[in-house]
Amino acid sequence: MADELNTALDRLSHVPGVRGAMIVEIGTGVPIVEEIEASVAGGAVAALAAALYQRTAEAARSGGFGGLEVMHLEAEHGHVLVAGTAELAVIVLADPDAQLGMVRLETARAVEGLR
Amino acid sequence: MKRTELPGLVQALRAPIDTFVRDARVRIVLLISTSGQVLAQHGFTARYEVMNVASLAAAAHASSRALAELTRSGGWTHLYHAGRDRQLFLATLATPIHPLILVSIFDGNSSLGLVQFFFDRLAGQVAALPELASATPSTDQVSFEHDLEAGIERIFSTEGRTAG
Repeated sequence: MADELNTALDRLSHVPGVRGAMIVEIGTGVPIVEEIEASVAGGAVAALAAALYQRTAEAARSGGFGGLEVMHLEAEHGHVLVAGTAELAVIVLADPDAQLGMVRLETARAVEGLR
Repeated sequence: MKRTELPGLVQALRAPIDTFVRDARVRIVLLISTSGQVLAQHGFTARYEVMNVASLAAAAHASSRALAELTRSGGWTHLYHAGRDRQLFLATLATPIHPLILVSIFDGNSSLGLVQFFFDRLAGQVAALPELASATPSTDQVSFEHDLEAGIERIFSTEGRTAG
């Protein structure tokens, strides 16, 4: 399992414009594996993004939209994408000009590997 | 620290602890000194609960520190216990005088990562409090019970006045 997770992260990290990626246990908000720039506070990103993903999934369900597939946060200096299963989430940090189609595709592949 | 320094410190700690409770979404918080002085609390309604948890937290802190020394682990940053419904996070806050012990209990509304993240913020805020920089270090472990009683008295009397 660990090898598969590392391979999925490795593929994601090689997509142009991706600054880093991690797989996080949603319940604890703690990263399981991560491949991320040293300047990024990985623990903080994992905790906050997992909590936000959990809340957004609840909001989607409450709003009658069903399960959440991808949470995409667009900020001034980049993107945060989160997708996952009930227990695990893939978090991707990308530059503003990253190839988002490719990022989403590789994120979806990584999530498939978690199932 | 001296009993006369407690009121100012308890008052100064109220805002950062309230922020921590709100942001980290924890249910219960207790902040004590290593000598047992209760400096802040949230979520307790009975004095005996505070007294029991404070005593156990101080004991857990002392035991963990001893264990870290025995195993040459070089100290520890936090203790985490995941129960079925609730989780316990126990950590030390470094201050200019001596470490403080934070006990925090949370449920599925929060997570270990969130509590850790906002604990780090709290640690920075507490370390910067001028009330702690000017406090007198307490080194007398024999006064544990005395300090515990005094701290609980202070915490509940302050809350009573605030509520009223």
